[in-house]
Amino acid sequence: MNREHKQGGNETGKVAAQVPWLEWVASCIGLLLVLGVFGVIGWQLFNGATVPPVITVEVENVAPVEGGHRVLFRARNRAGEAAARVEIEGTVSTAGADPETSRVVLDYVPGHSEQQGGLFFSRDPRSGALSLRPTGFADP
Amino acid sequence: MPVTSERYAIGLARAFGGAIIFGIPLLMTMEMWSLGFSIGRGRLLLLIAFTLVLLVGLSYFSGFEKTFSLKEDAMDAFAALGVGVVTSAVLLVVLAVITFDMTWGDIVGRVALQSVPASIGAMLGRKQLGDEQDMDAEEERKREAGYGGELFLMLAGALFLAFNMAPTEEMILIAFQMTPWHALALGVLSMLLLHVFVYSIGFSGQESRPEGGTFLSTFLHFTLAGYGVALLVSLYVLWSFGRTDGVSVAEITNMLVVLGFPASLGAATARLVV
Repeated sequence: MNREHKQGGNETGKVAAQVPWLEWVASCIGLLLVLGVFGVIGWQLFNGATVPPVITVEVENVAPVEGGHRVLFRARNRAGEAAARVEIEGTVSTAGADPETSRVVLDYVPGHSEQQGGLFFSRDPRSGALSLRPTGFADP
Repeated sequence: MPVTSERYAIGLARAFGGAIIFGIPLLMTMEMWSLGFSIGRGRLLLLIAFTLVLLVGLSYFSGFEKTFSLKEDAMDAFAALGVGVVTSAVLLVVLAVITFDMTWGDIVGRVALQSVPASIGAMLGRKQLGDEQDMDAEEERKREAGYGGELFLMLAGALFLAFNMAPTEEMILIAFQMTPWHALALGVLSMLLLHVFVYSIGFSGQESRPEGGTFLSTFLHFTLAGYGVALLVSLYVLWSFGRTDGVSVAEITNMLVVLGFPASLGAATARLVV
């Protein structure tokens, strides 16, 4: 790769006025990236980047595993601000028995982003009502 | 001067020194251990391949001997990777990060990931710790390489520094703490420092520094291109470590600016190290 550029470099020395194509490509990519990055950040400024977290949880998949049942979920932050230490609590309630509760803490759920996780239950969540909800978060 | 096995052995010893010195910050970083098994296998393979290509290029610019062919550069690159792997494996065992009741997949993953900074260190160690090296040949080579060479050195510098910071949780934590204003300020500061370094250290090189170079042309051709390289390297490293999975574009942008700060400093000062 470098040996090819050697040629271009020598030419630059002789013909100072001519800018090699590689310089154009690199500069243009740089310019586009900078504009893109600053554009997205600028957009955030006016689009609620400072709205406190709103977390929703969806169940993705329930499967029997060794020693119980596993519930995979997806936690989505619908607001702009990132949430840290998000606790997700899942409850399986069946008629005639105490509800079973499992909890997990997600390190971070960034703004407008999602994180996946899982909970284990000894009881089959499909045998009763399964509910998952976020119980709280901290500012990062 | 012909390279005898004795001289090669001295070079190899320096490579081990470099691997330890440049690799130690990450060898003692907790996140690197867990990334060793959690990083996607495909991404890990790609990272090792990318490192090999980088090592071949680094060997061309600053190997311990003047190389004459792609074959020699490739041999040096594999030697450096080997040194990196051996150094990482030994140190991880001594630090009790690797124990023999772990699965092979886990052990190999941890060693492979650590060998990335260690092998780059091995390649650089030959230069940094060596004294008998043909500096003129090296300078000549950097001059000959022209703009493509500059870009490559910036890429290597950016990758090395970005790779040292990216595994830590602080990178994403800082990104989450920042408001858009902070991110804008950090982005501007990164470019400003990159530009100052390009000028004051004469990083832009002999061909491009002459009086003819106006502020705008240096800014466009080196600062902007360099910051572009830094951002791309940051994105690649963040993606490799799975930091971008499921994360929105806005938050990824913040992370890019955060990691782009050390990456652009690495790009600006690459010439000092390489």
